[in-house]
Amino acid sequence: MTDYNYKSCTGCALICEDILYSDKEAVTQARNICRKGQAHYQSLFAERTKPMIEGREASLDQAIARAAEILKGAKSPLIYGWSNSSSEAQAVGMDLAERIGAAVDDPSTYCEGLFMEMVLKGEVPSCTLDDVRNYADTSIFWGSDPSSSQPRHLSRFSYFPRGEKRQKSYEEERTCIVVDVRESPTARLCPNTTYRVGPGEDVQFLEAILNVLEGKIPKFGDKKKMIELGSVLKKTEYGVIFPGRGIFPSLQDKMELFSDLMARLNEVSTFKAIPVAGGFNTRGFNQLLLDRTGYVKSVSFQQDNGKIIHRPEDSLAGAAKRADALLAFGSDPLAELPVGVARALAKVPMVVIDSCRSITSDEARVVIPSAISGLEAGGTAIRTDGMKVSLEPFMKTDRLAEKQILTRIMEAM
Amino acid sequence: MAVEVKVATFRDIFQYEAGRKGMHSDEYLQLSAQILMDKEDMASLGVKDGGRVLAENEVGRVVLVARASGDKAHPGVAFMIESPWSHQLEDDEPCKHGALGFRGISATVTPSQDNVTELAEIVQRLKE
Amino acid sequence: MVSAMEIYMLLPKTNCKKCGLPTCMAFAVGLLGREKKLDECTPLIEEKKYEAKLAKLREIMAPLENASETGLVIHPEKCFGCGNCVVACPVNVAAEPTRCGAGLGPESEKVILRVEDGEVKAFNLEECRRFGPNKILCNACTATCPSKAIEFV
Repeated sequence: MTDYNYKSCTGCALICEDILYSDKEAVTQARNICRKGQAHYQSLFAERTKPMIEGREASLDQAIARAAEILKGAKSPLIYGWSNSSSEAQAVGMDLAERIGAAVDDPSTYCEGLFMEMVLKGEVPSCTLDDVRNYADTSIFWGSDPSSSQPRHLSRFSYFPRGEKRQKSYEEERTCIVVDVRESPTARLCPNTTYRVGPGEDVQFLEAILNVLEGKIPKFGDKKKMIELGSVLKKTEYGVIFPGRGIFPSLQDKMELFSDLMARLNEVSTFKAIPVAGGFNTRGFNQLLLDRTGYVKSVSFQQDNGKIIHRPEDSLAGAAKRADALLAFGSDPLAELPVGVARALAKVPMVVIDSCRSITSDEARVVIPSAISGLEAGGTAIRTDGMKVSLEPFMKTDRLAEKQILTRIMEAM
Repeated sequence: MAVEVKVATFRDIFQYEAGRKGMHSDEYLQLSAQILMDKEDMASLGVKDGGRVLAENEVGRVVLVARASGDKAHPGVAFMIESPWSHQLEDDEPCKHGALGFRGISATVTPSQDNVTELAEIVQRLKE
Repeated sequence: MVSAMEIYMLLPKTNCKKCGLPTCMAFAVGLLGREKKLDECTPLIEEKKYEAKLAKLREIMAPLENASETGLVIHPEKCFGCGNCVVACPVNVAAEPTRCGAGLGPESEKVILRVEDGEVKAFNLEECRRFGPNKILCNACTATCPSKAIEFV
């Protein structure tokens, strides 16, 4: 490969843009792509979906027409997915949601969603991943394991690369701290600065940090280790916390503790937080939802007038249990959601827009095949740190992009 | 012979890869339908590495392969890769902020002679 | 990685000196350093009573077969493709300071480590600092791996 025709990867929310895909059809070689990105790329050649109605092959037009029929006729539809789609597809999806009076929700609801909300609303200070590379001397992975979920996180940004103010990088100028319930692959990289907490104990750990910052004896954990942590935090020039889904069980009813911690840390030095987003365009969806409705979750639109509704009953669990139709795009809800929510969805007519066969597509009333965002279809997306990325597709396909499919469904109504 | 555990779920790159190749594959089943346990907890159940256990709570029940986690001692805590199997044990009460509750899983683990729960069975239960 | 003691336990332990070394322990060390080959222990190869031990020895020493002169072994099936080794390798960084040095994938063919199809591959190992007469014990790639996919024998 002598021409550096870099393309993007939509395997995770880092949306790496230095991938070299071979243009020889016989040789599927991709340079610089991590195992997760490679698996995503190879799904191009896995079991792809075909247009189906009630388990039988149909034409694309028929499938779209039937999908429109189901969604238009529903009284409380739910549109789920969003975070694995381009910003353009998300925008059309929102138009559709308004049109049919749907509840909208994405997987970040039960993962990093609440952190994402705090960052988007400015309740905790944040920065870009490039800032992390250039300035961060302390990276804290709390309830997150980017080695497994965003594999190039540490090599591109948070620990190993050199940066403007961190030329000596991990060897002398960066510290990596992990707080987790288990010895994750990321924890293996910094065993001396890994803090093990039990499930549900993150609140106590957080309070212990507040104790040591105030010079008090911590009431939780190994006292010596916690005091050491306190001094690392105090000596930090630019610290970044990457909170993951792991702390959600502990903090979900006490999210203000996290913003309290960030405020306290910022009295000591500069500290930022960047969530470890799930789908490649989770941040894009949450930002869109915030911009359009003022909320990041528990949102639905009223039928007939598209008025924005925000109530606890519109949380994912509530919306799923009240739903009488589901549109799932770029997601596999029956595989991803707690059994009660999944069961509620399995009982209603489901329209699935997806690129590959999934557990949900097998049970769907209508399946519409889509092009894979970023690989076969273009558009833009927002990286986990808020940077906008232009998706450069490189694979030709006859399949429609999600944006086109959603537009055609609306047209068919 | 039962152990009460809190189950923490995590993401694994190899299980993700297997899922992208095909969610209905043997490889996806093998990597997902596992529970990583503390050595002493397994010993108290009389279950060897690779043996089968039933993990059960009010929400659901699944038969899994038990593996020694290889981690520092963590009695009363077990780990599962996030998968349709782990979701069978999760409740869905919304938290105070309205987001889907993810309180963490508590389950009772006992030795089992049954076969590991198949994906098809999990899907079947969703439709009942 | 297999140790000299593990190898020694599977040898005849007779100190017969047929391999040219005074003791079986010395032979074990020689095998690990790849200065000696298993076939040089003629009793091990020729006598039936050592058959099972020979088979086990071949099994545990198989990774060494693939090791380069630098002693680098990659287990691709364990690799996350995270690029930590690519970015940590001092030779990579010297060759491409604005790419590998800054966390990006390399462009030149001069680098030692590069991720392809989700797994790291090694090239130009004669450039590795563990190679040659002025070799040093650089361990940047192994120390930064989250999954022990890259090791030194």
